[in-house]
Amino acid sequence: MTVEERILELLIGPQHPASGHMRLVAKIDGDIVVELRPNIGYVHRSVEKLAEVKKYLHIIPLVERPSLADTTANNLAYVMALEKLLGIEAPPRAQYLRTLLAEINRIHSHLYGLGIHGVMIGSSTAYMWCFGDREPFIEIAQELTGARLTYSYIIPGGVRRDLPQGFEDRVEKVLRYLENRMKDYFDIYFNNPVTRARLEGVGVLTKEDAIKLGVTGPNLRASGVPYDVRKIEPYAAYPELDFEVVTREEGDALARVFVRIGEIQESMKIIRQVLKNIPEGPIFHEKYVKMVPPKLREYMKETGEVKFPGTFANLRVPAGEAISRVEGGRGEVVFYLISDGKSLSPYRMRMVTPSFRNVILFEHLTKGHRVADIPAIYGSLDYFPPEADR
Amino acid sequence: MVCMMEGTMLLGNLEKSARKAAAWLVNKTPIRNIRDWGIAFSLWPVHFTTACCGAEFAASAAPRFDTERFGFLPFIASRQCNLLFIEGTLTKKMGEAAIWVYEQMPEPKFVIAMGACGIDGGIFWNSYNIVRPMDILPVSVFIPGCPPRPEAVAQAIIMLQRKIRKGEMVKYEF
Repeated sequence: MTVEERILELLIGPQHPASGHMRLVAKIDGDIVVELRPNIGYVHRSVEKLAEVKKYLHIIPLVERPSLADTTANNLAYVMALEKLLGIEAPPRAQYLRTLLAEINRIHSHLYGLGIHGVMIGSSTAYMWCFGDREPFIEIAQELTGARLTYSYIIPGGVRRDLPQGFEDRVEKVLRYLENRMKDYFDIYFNNPVTRARLEGVGVLTKEDAIKLGVTGPNLRASGVPYDVRKIEPYAAYPELDFEVVTREEGDALARVFVRIGEIQESMKIIRQVLKNIPEGPIFHEKYVKMVPPKLREYMKETGEVKFPGTFANLRVPAGEAISRVEGGRGEVVFYLISDGKSLSPYRMRMVTPSFRNVILFEHLTKGHRVADIPAIYGSLDYFPPEADR
Repeated sequence: MVCMMEGTMLLGNLEKSARKAAAWLVNKTPIRNIRDWGIAFSLWPVHFTTACCGAEFAASAAPRFDTERFGFLPFIASRQCNLLFIEGTLTKKMGEAAIWVYEQMPEPKFVIAMGACGIDGGIFWNSYNIVRPMDILPVSVFIPGCPPRPEAVAQAIIMLQRKIRKGEMVKYEF
């Protein structure tokens, strides 16, 4: 038989446990993948178009929906772009609270990714453990913001709520719990011979390719490129915090997993610093606090819950353009806003999500690997289709 | 058709009569109750993630909420499943796939639509690329919320089980 006759086209998904919300079109020669093309667009919900008819404040929940496991990154990036247009800056305490929520979100987003990766390579234990240990983090985020995943916590000029009483102790308890659990994770899952055999040397991404393809996030850092927006273009409270950028040299699936674990540990370090160094003061910009009626202002002081001023209903933004970058759990999130200064909605909103930038890796990494390695590589990329399709 | 059995002679279509008798028996109280009880506790949702609510659906199958205690475990192949879970928005492209998956499933089969998007589009109501699940599939239970909490998923499963055990959902026709 000729090579053309031997090659079989295999459709994986969209109804398949290892495909997520998309279809993978694989061309295979025996058990070797010749070409793998992701067929995306199954979750395209036109977020950018809808943003053009929604008011500025209504876009906050809208941009959170595409990446449900990592909502804070999108929320923060959008609000940062909006604040640049409005010409305001949140007070320092609000900046610290934003950082706190972003790091809590990073931890449970990474645990989500690790759990999905675990079940994709056939380790149900990893899925159960990661999702079980994700819940305490969701719970403390819920205590801070009031929602499990879609926080909408960050608003132009500050944050919605102050720290609850006794929050530091409960966070410390949760952090200590995960630190102790990490040893078990290494014993049962990460140092497991099966996991090692499935992931070591699979889907190797070299440093040059990673830079050339424009990969972002933990996938880039696993190839030895210390690129992190938190360091390169610091925002929120990151300039005042001490943390390291986790990198690995190998660039294979296991390295990508270990970068995520390293980032979880760094995030825990950041959370401790934030709770220790958080300054006293207002959590909402004084320009907006003045607009709130005096009775509600008293209520805000007593409870620490922000009441929106009347202008937020029809927020008018001066004409101009703004761009903002945030390091989310999966990589760099970029928001670009154009306002014409007249209407109540942006003229154009562009969101560049990390998953869309990483989708090119499917084609690049799987070439020459076995069919069984497709889920192992897919899971290690922590790819979330709704985020890529928007 | 004529059939002889030890001195008695049966007239008519035996196969048809046998099917009729079976249908009568299966849809009659004691056996119907046992049948519905069995179906209610063996709901196998097909592993089909349609949108972002899948994150909460995955959390509801995980240890804290553990929907497996209701006999509810996401399963791989649509041929062996009897429950289709629409997890959030259904785009036009995914709607096609949802119909294919639904048609592959054996009877009796049920559909649960999760999230505000599953009811009328939710936050994406004016998007150009979505369909409403109730327009293309017979939905039994809706779960409101954006996204619904895992407790709400458990509630929906219990509601569906109650509906099945009332005996209105499943009817065998031969």
